[in-house]
Amino acid sequence: MTQTKLEMKNITKTFNHDKILNELTFHLEKGEIMSIVGPSGSGKTTLLRILAGLEKPTDGEIIMNGRDITKQKANRRSISLVFQQPLLFPHMTVKENIVYGAKVSKNYKEEKIESLLEAIGMARFRDHYPSEISGGQQQRTALARAMATEPEVILFDEPFSSLDPSLRQDLRYWVRDFLASRETTAVFVTHDMEEAMIMGDQIAVFEDGNFQQIGTAETLHKSPANMRVATFLGGHLILNDHEFAPLHAVRVGTQKTSKNEVSFHATVEHITYQHGRPVAHLYVNNLEKKISIPIDETFPTREVQVTIPAGSIQTFSGEIL
Amino acid sequence: MIRKKVLFLILTLLFFIIPLTVLLLQSISAPWRFHTGQGIDWGWQEYSTLFQNPQLWEATFISIGIGFAVLFINVAIGLFTGKALTPYAYRGKAWLEALLLSPILIPSLAIAMGLHLFMIRVGLADTIWGVMLIHLVPTVPYSIKIFHNSYQQIGKAMMEQPHILGAGFWTQVFTVELPLLRPAIRSVTFLTIVISLSQYAITAIIGGGRVLTLPLVFFPFLNNANTSIMAAFSIWFALIPVFMYIIIEALMMFLPYSRLPWRNHR
Amino acid sequence: MKLFKNRTFLLFLPAGIFLIIPFYGFIHAVIQSLGGEGLAHYEEILNSERFLSSMWFSIRTAGIATIVSIILGLGFTKWFHPLLTKTSPRLMVWIPMLFPHFVWGYMVILILSETGWTAQAFIAAGWLEDTSNFPVWTRDPQGIGIIITYVWKEIPLVILLLLPVYASIHPEYYALVDSLGGNAWHRFTTVDLPNLLPVLVESFLIIFSFTLAAYEVPALIGTTFPEMISVLGYEWFYGSSWEDRPLAFAAMVLTSLFLLVLTLMSYYGLSRPKWRAMRSDRP
Repeated sequence: MTQTKLEMKNITKTFNHDKILNELTFHLEKGEIMSIVGPSGSGKTTLLRILAGLEKPTDGEIIMNGRDITKQKANRRSISLVFQQPLLFPHMTVKENIVYGAKVSKNYKEEKIESLLEAIGMARFRDHYPSEISGGQQQRTALARAMATEPEVILFDEPFSSLDPSLRQDLRYWVRDFLASRETTAVFVTHDMEEAMIMGDQIAVFEDGNFQQIGTAETLHKSPANMRVATFLGGHLILNDHEFAPLHAVRVGTQKTSKNEVSFHATVEHITYQHGRPVAHLYVNNLEKKISIPIDETFPTREVQVTIPAGSIQTFSGEIL
Repeated sequence: MIRKKVLFLILTLLFFIIPLTVLLLQSISAPWRFHTGQGIDWGWQEYSTLFQNPQLWEATFISIGIGFAVLFINVAIGLFTGKALTPYAYRGKAWLEALLLSPILIPSLAIAMGLHLFMIRVGLADTIWGVMLIHLVPTVPYSIKIFHNSYQQIGKAMMEQPHILGAGFWTQVFTVELPLLRPAIRSVTFLTIVISLSQYAITAIIGGGRVLTLPLVFFPFLNNANTSIMAAFSIWFALIPVFMYIIIEALMMFLPYSRLPWRNHR
Repeated sequence: MKLFKNRTFLLFLPAGIFLIIPFYGFIHAVIQSLGGEGLAHYEEILNSERFLSSMWFSIRTAGIATIVSIILGLGFTKWFHPLLTKTSPRLMVWIPMLFPHFVWGYMVILILSETGWTAQAFIAAGWLEDTSNFPVWTRDPQGIGIIITYVWKEIPLVILLLLPVYASIHPEYYALVDSLGGNAWHRFTTVDLPNLLPVLVESFLIIFSFTLAAYEVPALIGTTFPEMISVLGYEWFYGSSWEDRPLAFAAMVLTSLFLLVLTLMSYYGLSRPKWRAMRSDRP
């Protein structure tokens, strides 16, 4: 039994005659976490700011729990937004920051603050000022401050991108479990596909002011809806506007093999090692495409043949929604 | 770096510290006549002579009253305008800023002369209220500038936080903006009060000589008081902003989240 | 969008109401300078030797005071800004800002007049025979006392205005100019100047308009001839004959117009894209 928590209908946002969002429509069930991925500067942040109420859409409506909230101001919406920067109030201690969130949203309970401090592992640092704790601790505090308002929906705008990679990984799982344990509905914006797969039940690929495809990681990889999705995922060799082959079906060798295959000439540009395996970075001359494929052995020459079994060539046909 | 420090110390000593010290020494001793071979005669009698003048006390209270009123209005206008100028960049913003700065570019003497008849007509001439209004002209543009800079430093993103968390306009002003604007309030306090204390001509025009502020006492004093009394009077001029600053600093302790002032400096 | 506009409008309202005061005052100064007789009063003062020499003296004196303040303040800030990040050195530099201008003018009289501390100290030290040998630096016809007072008082203001600019310049830029083979002059013109220019122009306008038309300091430390325009205007305004009042208005309006043109020219120059790009708020 699911219920629709949040809905965006035909949201359009133009800025100086540029369409940043074009007739955007989607909905979220209660407790669902959706990741939105897309290249930098594609308007993902604008989408979140409109949801949070910091900006007004040019057209369209936002519906929460069946009620139109398009005209409601940000401080009246039960939606919280966690930014890339922690943006803690520098004149308040860790605890005061969290209490602030609870008090201004009129949801203050002493036990809740305590449990939040425990949950983010900051109980020991409750009386420290933001300048006295690390970046990861600040970001966790910012999350607790947002959670203290007891939002029905929480939005994240690349919250880990200012942290160093090792810390980022830990925090991803921590936030994911934290949200799941509270059944919080969330939207998670990132430009990193891996992060999107960890954080979201559903992944929405956002480009050119609209969603190119929404689905699970598996759906997206198995049947990308179009070239843009496939390009962004990086897991396919795109042959032309309608055809592609999954990279795991692509073989790399020094010469052509049988006839029932499509084959291209390619140049090895570089070999790197990832997860303990060599990875060849190839330039496929005829297609003018670069691909990266794990290989078993290195090649004597830089010139190689890329072959694809005819049966694994597919057409873009995945459903957009 | 050491040479730089030494040079800095020499310059500040020579041009800022020594003059102030000598002024202090002069104020607590009889006028100096070294060339006649006399020594220095120390004592507080210059201050007591100064304070025996009833006009001085009246003028001090009036100046402080005007100073606080002008400061309060400055903070209110500066805060709102600084906030309004900050969030978005738009065309013509530079011109808007120039417009807001223009009252200190037009001679305040011209403005005061122009307002004189109007002030008489509406009954504000020769009153403390009229003087307060005219003292806003050379102060408000500075305050707007200071608050605008401070808001820009705090940043648009930080200002959005309380709003997203659910704070209303005034809650945001008192819990987040004012505490973060403390340095701006300090600068505005000093500038506003010193500027207000510096106005002789426009105070004389609008106050008609009947609103007695400290400069209106200082100028006639020049003709019949000795150097030591004048030195004491000069020190008095600097003590007033310091005194008012301490009061403002104490008032700011009542702002939310000021409970740990000894930690806030970290 | 409309909501946002309404709120911003309300926030600007106090400043808008405030602006009525100076603009009403200025417009009425213009009206009273005309006095229903057209430009007659302007014609009169423009033919008056007293006005013209006063205007020239004012522009010259204020110009020198402003330029010297800015050059010295800029040099001081450039050279010492790393030291000024600490509070106590800053407070030492701010000392003159604690005093009104005319009080600092009185200080200059105490220090530099013919019977002042310096003269007395020199005589006591045997370097000077008599106080009459000390140069006349206060209440002098060259405006030296006025210039000294203003320079002394405005240097801290220039430092105050320039300090945030220097604090925001990344030192990497200097290293970049060095690595490209530039010298100290290149460093100044390519790194400092573009950042400083808007602030320098604004500082010049603020200080110049103030020193050109402020009454207190020249009244205290200047002479009766040549006199600063503010002193002349004040005298005409409060003078023995009522007929001089429109002249006071005409003199102050002309001064204002001069400053207005100067401001407009500066802002026009600064609004060119090259300088606009240097400002923190990009359009």
